[in-house]
Amino acid sequence: MCLGIPMQIRKIDGFNASCEAKGVQRDVSLFMLQDEALDIDDFVVVHVGYAIQKISPQEAQTAWELYDQMLAAD
Amino acid sequence: MTATAAQWLQRIRELPLQDTIKIMNVCGGHERSISMAGLRSALPANIELIPGPGCPVCICPEEDVYEAIQLALKEDLILVAFGDMLRVPVNVGKSEPRTLAEARAQGADIRPIATPTEAVKTARENPATPVVFFAAGFETTTAPVASMLVEGVPDNLFLLLSGRLTWPAVAMLLDSGEAGFDALIAPGHVATVMGPEEWQFVVDRHNLPAAIAGFTSESLLSAMYSVLRQLSDARYFLDNCYPDLVREGGNPSARRQLARAFDVGDANWRGVGSIANSGYFISSEYVRHDARKRFPGYADDARKRAGEMPPGCDCAGVVLGRIYPNECRLYGKACVPRNPIGPCMVSDEGACRIWWANGIREQVNLKKRQANS
Ligand code: SF4
Repeated sequence: MCLGIPMQIRKIDGFNASCEAKGVQRDVSLFMLQDEALDIDDFVVVHVGYAIQKISPQEAQTAWELYDQMLAAD
Repeated sequence: MTATAAQWLQRIRELPLQDTIKIMNVCGGHERSISMAGLRSALPANIELIPGPGCPVCICPEEDVYEAIQLALKEDLILVAFGDMLRVPVNVGKSEPRTLAEARAQGADIRPIATPTEAVKTARENPATPVVFFAAGFETTTAPVASMLVEGVPDNLFLLLSGRLTWPAVAMLLDSGEAGFDALIAPGHVATVMGPEEWQFVVDRHNLPAAIAGFTSESLLSAMYSVLRQLSDARYFLDNCYPDLVREGGNPSARRQLARAFDVGDANWRGVGSIANSGYFISSEYVRHDARKRFPGYADDARKRAGEMPPGCDCAGVVLGRIYPNECRLYGKACVPRNPIGPCMVSDEGACRIWWANGIREQVNLKKRQANS
């Protein structure tokens, strides 16, 4: 339960965002990233529906390679 | 450019290391990556990787799960919980429901959720019914729960909180003098939220090398290389091998919200007992959302085997890194993911389940290993 997944921000409405990963959209709360300037297309690590950190596109890419493996293994 | 997994392995092989070295990885997510990538067999034979206490489902107090089951059965309410929690067994007589899933089959309104926002939504959609959110988890999960409270929740939402902090379990192990490991790999996403500084005590107080790792093989191997190199140089520090996410001070809004919503105090870990400063408790500001205050009297600590692991299950030993999953006598025999006896076989982050899912079928005799070591 401690594994965050990288997602890309598509829409922002206050502290609510719509984020996308692998073509899947999810509602994500930005309430835990109030000290961070966030924009459309930024990448965040999402855990239980909350963005816990902003990350670089490169890091998001590397992380996804891992999750692809994990999902394939499940 | 960062090095590849193969390059890190090569660097590790080139280190002048003689003795057996035991590295504990705290986090269940790390254990998943390690097992999946087959890092144990890729590393030199004298390096042992020990899975540690990082499975929140495994250590969630038995009496809290029992309390959740009783609440859902006996009160007219909706209980929501993260999906994994529904299959965790408690110690009760044969005629009583052993899990939240069994209580649900008996008619209790229990709903699995994936995010705290679903708990809020359920409460909004059912304004006349109390909704209890049974929230177990470590800092990464408890911080979003705090965030949910601080943002504001409906009056009919109550929290049955079983939040735990990870570092105090490692501190307890090290203070016991029987930790049994030479270096520590600290959890990446916990440190993302709480900051790397929390793990500095491993170096300062216990003179052991430590490194924070991410979840890819590259990040894990770079952290292993770091602690092994620290051992060979006899110069110890806390290395941050996940700098993309783990920043000084962690996530400041998350920490502010945690501090506002919850207090920290001593708390029970299943099969382990009380660990100092390891639990989150609802602060006075949010006490009106405390399920234990609103519905008291459902935690029955006087029950037979309250707080313990199921009979015959050695999850406590697994969680504390004292035995490997396949050294439990029930591993793969009575206990498999489809029919789990203990919580370590239930959760995706439980070491027993991870080892089984990655094809480890062989059972190992614990006494033999101890005699040989
Ligand atoms: S194999 Fe099953 S019974 Fe044994 S420690 Fe693991 S979860 Fe518990």
